[in-house]
Amino acid sequence: MLAHFFWFEVRYWTRSTMLWIFTAIIALMVFGAASTDQITIGAALENTYHNAPFVIENYYSFMCLLTLLMITAFVNSSAARDFSSNTHQLVFSTPLRKFDYLAGHYLGATTVSVIPMLGVSIGILVAKYMPWVDAERWGPVRWDAHWNGILVFAIPNTFFIAAIIFTIAVLTRSTVTAFIGGLILLTVYAVSQALMTDLRNETLGSLLDPFAIRTFFHATKYWTVADKNHMSIGLTGLLLWNRLIWIAVGTLIFAFGYIRFSFAERATRSKKKLLDDEGAALANVAIPQVRASQGFGFNTQLAQFWGTLGVEFWGLVKTTSFIVITIAALLNMVPSLILSASEGYGNSSLPVTYKVIELVQGTLYLFLISMITYYAGVLIWKERDSATDEIQDAMPHAEWPLYLAKLTALLGTIFMIQCLAMVAGVLVQTFNGYYRYQFGLYVSELLVMNFTVFIFLAVLAFFIHVISPNKYIGYFLFIAFLIANQFIWRPLNVGTLLVQFGNQPDYTYSDFYGYTPFLKAWLWFTAYWLVFCGVLAAGSIALWQRGRETGWRFRLAVARSRFTGPLRAFAVLMTAAFIVIGGWIYYNTKVLNTIVTEDDHDRLQADYEKSYKKYQELPQPRITSVKYRIDLYPERRNLIMRGDEVIQNKSNQAISAVHVVVAENLQSNVDIDGARLAKNDRRLHFQTYELSPPMQPGDSRHMRFTVEKKTAGFENSMTNREIMPNGTFFNNTIAPQIGYQPAGELDNKNKRKKYGLPEKDLMAALERNCTADCMNTYISNNSDWVDVETVIGTSPGQIAIAPGSLLREWSENGRCYYQYHLGHSALNFYSWLSADYKVAREQWNGLDIEVYYLAEHPWNVPKMLRSVRKSFEYYTTNFGPYANKQARIIEFPRVARFAQAFPGTMPYSEAIGFIANLKKPDDIDFVYYVVAHEMAHQWWAHQVIGANMQGATALSETLAQYSALMVMEKEYGRDTMRRFLEYEMDNYLRSRGRELLKERPLERVEADQGYIHYRKGSVVMYYLKEMIGEDAVNRALRKVLGQYGYAPAPYPTSYALVDALRAETPPNLQYLIKDLFEEITEFSNRTTAARATKQPDGSYSVAIEVDAHKFTADDKGNETEVPVDDWIEIGAFAKPPKDKKYGKVLHRDCIHMKSGKATYRFITKEEPDKAGIDPFLLLIDRVPSDNLKAVDIR
Amino acid sequence: MELKIEHLSKRYPNGVRALDDVSLTIPLGMYGLLGPNGAGKSTLMRTLATLQEPDTGQAFLGDIDVLRQKVDVRKTLGYLPQDFGVYPRISAQDMLDHLALLKGFTQRKERKELVDALLQRVNLHSVRKKALTSFSGGMRQRFGIAQALIGNPKLLIVDEPTAGLDPGERNRFYNLLSEVGENVIVILSTHIVQDVMELCTNMAIIHQGKVLFAGSPENAVEELNGRIWKRSILKAEIPEYEKRYRVISSKLIAGHPLIHILSSEPPGDGFEPVTADLEDVFFTRISGLN
Repeated sequence: MLAHFFWFEVRYWTRSTMLWIFTAIIALMVFGAASTDQITIGAALENTYHNAPFVIENYYSFMCLLTLLMITAFVNSSAARDFSSNTHQLVFSTPLRKFDYLAGHYLGATTVSVIPMLGVSIGILVAKYMPWVDAERWGPVRWDAHWNGILVFAIPNTFFIAAIIFTIAVLTRSTVTAFIGGLILLTVYAVSQALMTDLRNETLGSLLDPFAIRTFFHATKYWTVADKNHMSIGLTGLLLWNRLIWIAVGTLIFAFGYIRFSFAERATRSKKKLLDDEGAALANVAIPQVRASQGFGFNTQLAQFWGTLGVEFWGLVKTTSFIVITIAALLNMVPSLILSASEGYGNSSLPVTYKVIELVQGTLYLFLISMITYYAGVLIWKERDSATDEIQDAMPHAEWPLYLAKLTALLGTIFMIQCLAMVAGVLVQTFNGYYRYQFGLYVSELLVMNFTVFIFLAVLAFFIHVISPNKYIGYFLFIAFLIANQFIWRPLNVGTLLVQFGNQPDYTYSDFYGYTPFLKAWLWFTAYWLVFCGVLAAGSIALWQRGRETGWRFRLAVARSRFTGPLRAFAVLMTAAFIVIGGWIYYNTKVLNTIVTEDDHDRLQADYEKSYKKYQELPQPRITSVKYRIDLYPERRNLIMRGDEVIQNKSNQAISAVHVVVAENLQSNVDIDGARLAKNDRRLHFQTYELSPPMQPGDSRHMRFTVEKKTAGFENSMTNREIMPNGTFFNNTIAPQIGYQPAGELDNKNKRKKYGLPEKDLMAALERNCTADCMNTYISNNSDWVDVETVIGTSPGQIAIAPGSLLREWSENGRCYYQYHLGHSALNFYSWLSADYKVAREQWNGLDIEVYYLAEHPWNVPKMLRSVRKSFEYYTTNFGPYANKQARIIEFPRVARFAQAFPGTMPYSEAIGFIANLKKPDDIDFVYYVVAHEMAHQWWAHQVIGANMQGATALSETLAQYSALMVMEKEYGRDTMRRFLEYEMDNYLRSRGRELLKERPLERVEADQGYIHYRKGSVVMYYLKEMIGEDAVNRALRKVLGQYGYAPAPYPTSYALVDALRAETPPNLQYLIKDLFEEITEFSNRTTAARATKQPDGSYSVAIEVDAHKFTADDKGNETEVPVDDWIEIGAFAKPPKDKKYGKVLHRDCIHMKSGKATYRFITKEEPDKAGIDPFLLLIDRVPSDNLKAVDIR
Repeated sequence: MELKIEHLSKRYPNGVRALDDVSLTIPLGMYGLLGPNGAGKSTLMRTLATLQEPDTGQAFLGDIDVLRQKVDVRKTLGYLPQDFGVYPRISAQDMLDHLALLKGFTQRKERKELVDALLQRVNLHSVRKKALTSFSGGMRQRFGIAQALIGNPKLLIVDEPTAGLDPGERNRFYNLLSEVGENVIVILSTHIVQDVMELCTNMAIIHQGKVLFAGSPENAVEELNGRIWKRSILKAEIPEYEKRYRVISSKLIAGHPLIHILSSEPPGDGFEPVTADLEDVFFTRISGLN
């Protein structure tokens, strides 16, 4: 019997086209993603084989999200079929066993539901043989990965999803409830995803993810490119546990369903209850003579609008599907609102309103757009679907009240949900103890600005459904349109938003300036699309389907007859407004300003490189000092920067031509003494000046320039976002640059190929005794150490800040002027800021500490001040004197998200640090760390700067990390450092798997390999400090500083650092220098057993068995085992006190170890809780969790 | 006032000729449209109810050009379509109120009285707060007539209203209709001959889009009087009789076919004369025998 039901299901579904269509869709998606670069599922396949085992399993894990709804549909339909087709009375009257019936249907539907997943394998297997794929990026066919994908993801996921849905379906017989079940699973997935953002919750998140997507990520997060290409993971570790848990959940739920299910009960409950009032039919009462006034004018139509609005709105809100989707949408929002940690190191931000709004947008809007898509169809086809159309269409009402009522009803529900989201946001803020609610911002963003987009979408969806011959074609057309509108413009190289339906210019809210600078463009574009929607609305009303005639000839005739009076006036008005506003926007964006698309820009970059790369190595004069006169008009977003540079020929040959690169989007004027503008390439912003007489070696002369930013009208997408009505932040890269600038080249590998450019040079290979290749720093190729002076004027109410000490401050013509002078020559790399700041000041040993911040963001300012002070203490004591007279931290708007160190000034984005939530005492003090890091750059970068060569950033970024770690350790202690380093290690190990090119050892790090110079740098330097001592490290650093601080070219390479450290390292630890800096070294250390016996004297004799292995990795992550001949720590900890992560250290010892197993014994005074090898996780180890083992006490 | 239909023709894209030069004059009172399923009745009624467009021809309700002044027609129209559904999750009262609003009754209080009265009239007042979806077929049909009666229409079009009703309900339904029909034009379409006989003062027979007869039922019957003969025969004999006589109908009486034939002369052969009724007219007309 069971087999009968099983095969019935299988036959039923394999004959349905839906199954095969679904399989084909998945196969096509995967095929597209695997065989092209344009289609991606999740992350693009840039560094692994396109059919790497990792990729296959990853696709299998992800597809569950897609097939979830399909499984729900299949299983629900199988479970409900006998009821919905009313055959249950036939089926259930036959003698059959409950178990056979349920299990047969369930297993049949489940088995069939696995089939579409196989599309993953089909897609990948087929893609390999396509003629256009690059064979180099394909590995051998790995059947084990396909099999693992099916075994680990496809089958278990389908099994338990189906069990849950099937149970719900047979017990409730409600499709809607079954889909709610599916949505709840999605919510659980969202929760697990949110949990994973914090290292501390990774295990929990891994077990909780019902689809094991996050679990797979967790299990493979430290995989290198080589691992991803070669390894396939099966049911092991957390992945196994996760699968067991969810299969158990599925089985239990199915068992519950089995127990509760009863044929008899189902049969009676499924009978439809219809009212019947036999005998009470038509009474013979007289026809009612009610005097009621009938009207047909505008007031009647208005009343009809309001009446219909009520009916449509409540009709929508009361549907189960609406309630379910709304709840699901709100639920989907909650985990990220509550859990998300976004500042790094497990920290979270304060729930400032714009952040809460961003979370709402990120989690809710997909639901809202889906709702508009779905309910637009429901509403437009409501009369026809419910077969009330003939009654209503024959009524004497006009079309517009119905149209407008339905539209308003739909938008009203969206509005309602937005209000709920706002309430949720305010609640989250309150629970976090954050009370700066900014209701105005909520309203303007959620209920006004974003809402306009929903209006556009709803009006368009309505129009499409009005002209569509049936509902499903309507859905298809609308979705196809949305997708096309999203993706078609870039390939077509269309940049203007004037043709991209409903698109508004992007904007970034900031507490500095609100929306102000973006508002004008936004308003005009919004008005433009609103009047266009007015045209669509008029069209919808004119073409509104009424009656049975669907032929276009007839409908157009009807439309013509309706197109009179007010509708005509409205349509004409809207069309006229559309044209006029469109013209105005065109004038502003294309005439007053220009639109440069991404393609245009790529082409410019490519042409720039092709035309002028030849000048890169030419000797050019170098800047020695600059005087700036800057006039900033923040309200108008205007800027005039005048510069007077002294340039010098430091080469040994005469220079007869100076090449200058000027900034795009700005007007630049250059005047070099004795020079003539010989060539001006306006398109590529490249100018050539002929010098007569030529500059002889050692000659100096002036180069004066003016850079002007004049804001005119509004732009398609705002450029020069550095200049804002409040919160201007720009740096000296906007000044004309002498010489070819490689920074202007196209970076992306595929784009370079497309434009016929050779592969971009990486940095020059590291070399010893470097002179000729080390004449430039990695910051600048046209200056060394320069003197800088600025006079900067801004509007009253704002403070303008330039590098150096404030010499003078005065008012002139109602404007405020400031004169700054940098006391010490510096890198030609600095910034200017202007805003309405509040200033916190302190002094440390005669040095000024200043934090310039927005009055609204006072929370972490004291921490910043303290971090600067502590940094001063440590750095001046251990490294050397500070070169400036002040240290400033200056907040800038969230148009960018970073902190950066310029001489004596550290601009720090409002989006980080200033809003970090440091209320929990256990959190890592992110703000303190970042400030200490930027402070350290005042030594490491602004005093010692690396030559433009591999390893340059090891001298600046790695040393800044080390310095910050030391300052932090002094403040927060070792345990905090251990947690901090866990994040650093985690980040390094994860990021190397995403390396697109080659992983380098630390001493050869490329400038953009942040995961090496920051993350690995932290780990490596801290370990070295543990092994050779802080003093030894600092001695080495002082030596580097002494030798290279403010030294002229040639600039130092990473060898300077490595050699100095080597000199401080005792002979038995010399191998460390090679392991840490010269090679990529990893360990696989674990403790296999830990035992202890209590001695008569109360102490404990501990024995641990450890297994140590060491590897070196190549630039793709291929490992080679090398013998362990290292000093490695062993240790034991006491039980951690409550709420603490780490217990007291009972034993710590460094032992010379060899590869393989060994047993070590030691005595502890107190009872050990955990013991093992490398107990502080100082070594780079991909499985840190097995280093310690719980001690077995006898 | 009368409804004049002139030369209406309508061909569907699939080639079916739904209306073929239909011309009728429909006076006040009950008017029956009789025809088998698919004859074109519904097309004609929808056309009169402004929901469909003929290819050619015209129709006038008094001075109103039905095909052009649709809005004016709708103002005085009550229409009960053959198949209609209801909105889910809405009560009879709310739905009727909504429809009354669409008909132009904007005063909330007056509308409520109107709705109450109508619901009482069709005896749905006690269930007015119940969801329409829970109504039985008869109740829904009554709801349908209630909505058609909103605003005392001058033209009431009811399309196959008694399908699915039991005989008792059907009678009561017709009583209601005939009361209404005294001062307005009521067009009733049906394929049941008896309905027309009982209710209508005027009628038309439509078949394959053509008007085969228009006039009063009495006249129609008159024409056939003395020409209809009946006989009970064996099943197997039907083909033979069909060959020899102009058989217009055959129905089973106690298990044996009783055939009616059309003949001006007494056919003998065991045939007995019968008084012609409308059914004979109907079958005669649609089988094209006269």
